[in-house]
Amino acid sequence: MATPEQRVTERVEGAAQPTASSEPAPKLTFEAKNVSIWYGQKRAIDNVSLNILSKAVTAIIGPSGCGKSTFLRALNRMHELTPKTRMEGTVLLHGENLYSKTVDPAIVRRRVGMVFQKSNPFPTMTIGENVVVGLRLNGVRNQKFLNERLEKSLRMAALWDEVKDDLHKPGTSLSGGQQQRLCIARALAVEPEVILMDEPCSALDPIATAKIEELINELKAQYTIVTVTHNMQQAGRISDYTAFFYLGKLIEFGPTTAIFTNPTERQTEDYITGRFG
Amino acid sequence: MVTPKHILGTFDEALSALRNNVLMMAGLTERSLERAMKGLFTRDDNLCVTAIADDEEIDQLEMQIDKDGVAILLRFQPVASDLRRVVSAMKLSSNLERLGDQATNVARRARKLNQHPPLSEVDLIVPMRDKAMAMFKDSVDAYVREDVELARAIVPRDQALDELNRVVSRKLIQRMSQERDQLRGYLNLMFVARALERVGDHATNIAEDAVYAAAAEDIRHPSLTASV
Repeated sequence: MATPEQRVTERVEGAAQPTASSEPAPKLTFEAKNVSIWYGQKRAIDNVSLNILSKAVTAIIGPSGCGKSTFLRALNRMHELTPKTRMEGTVLLHGENLYSKTVDPAIVRRRVGMVFQKSNPFPTMTIGENVVVGLRLNGVRNQKFLNERLEKSLRMAALWDEVKDDLHKPGTSLSGGQQQRLCIARALAVEPEVILMDEPCSALDPIATAKIEELINELKAQYTIVTVTHNMQQAGRISDYTAFFYLGKLIEFGPTTAIFTNPTERQTEDYITGRFG
Repeated sequence: MVTPKHILGTFDEALSALRNNVLMMAGLTERSLERAMKGLFTRDDNLCVTAIADDEEIDQLEMQIDKDGVAILLRFQPVASDLRRVVSAMKLSSNLERLGDQATNVARRARKLNQHPPLSEVDLIVPMRDKAMAMFKDSVDAYVREDVELARAIVPRDQALDELNRVVSRKLIQRMSQERDQLRGYLNLMFVARALERVGDHATNIAEDAVYAAAAEDIRHPSLTASV
């Protein structure tokens, strides 16, 4: 029987490689088809179909309450944690229906990692423990494997050099920007296929923001990234594709350069130029 | 289509001030070109001197528009049509400044011609003036009214003007060989023709910027567009 370490490695390698070695890597990570989501009676997402391309950064923009965070959460079934939620439509991850009855939401969330607006390291854990907590919860006990993954994840999150001598210190002892990168390292440690980010820089100063943005740019070589942001300039800087949501509907989706120089929809133009409402 | 107000009133004000300065600069440039041309055809030195003096105000506006454009980019980070408006305003001001320089060139050559007896060959310049000035006025109109079709139509007109310049130059060279004592005068007329040909080039640039501002389309160098 495979050890937890082998299972983690196999799963990640299985996802990273196309099914047959001669086939090119799939171009689409997510295919959302006719997705509608209700919170009780309130319809938060209205019949959205959107394809997320692999190894690219997709930014979701829109005014508060437009459903962008709800849509992001639907990509790893996290919206289901909110009571009285109902969903219609399908979301395929590399062709596989995330909402199939046979799919375990916990597995989905492992494959599709998430970073939140406010950094949330586990307060009782050290920096090191925070990074590998996901692996430990998956039953990984091999200390050598954990140490390797710890260093790799922190390096990928551009945090290793700053914390390598302080791994035993509480995660909450770090600065806001470092804590956010710690959370990114924690998401990377389980080697997800996708990273979702919900306004990852909105609580950070410009320098910490620049570090996260640079990190996003580096990570997209290996990961598909979907980020929600209120910062239009940031969307313009970091993303390859931009989706504009309004009142739960997807108004426009396309290459970021096109959206920010010549959007086709009037509502998009009014929103991004600051002429909304 | 009326553009809704920006949530920041200061942004609308800044954008409007930038546009007004471009329009004022275009008006001054047109006046300067007309004075220079009239100075040439009526042999009026005073008009030529005024046209040369006009250039200073045009240059000042170019610097003001650049300064205001950079300030808008810095303070408001405009996107979409707003970004295109700022970029095209700054490009327009650069072309208008060069058009002002051409007015100065024509006026300087006219003053030199005025020191000698009139040359009948100055009539060769008339169709070039008419075409170049019409192109300039239409290009500014296309920019102001965001008239993409009018702007597009200016590009082929520049080719006709270039051809006219070649014809006029050939005739003047021919005259030079026939009447060597008028060489200087014919040379000055050739420089005037060359300045009008440049007016057509700048009008074309303005028309291209007008298309970019209105439709986000780059119509320069069509053979390269596919590979960019």
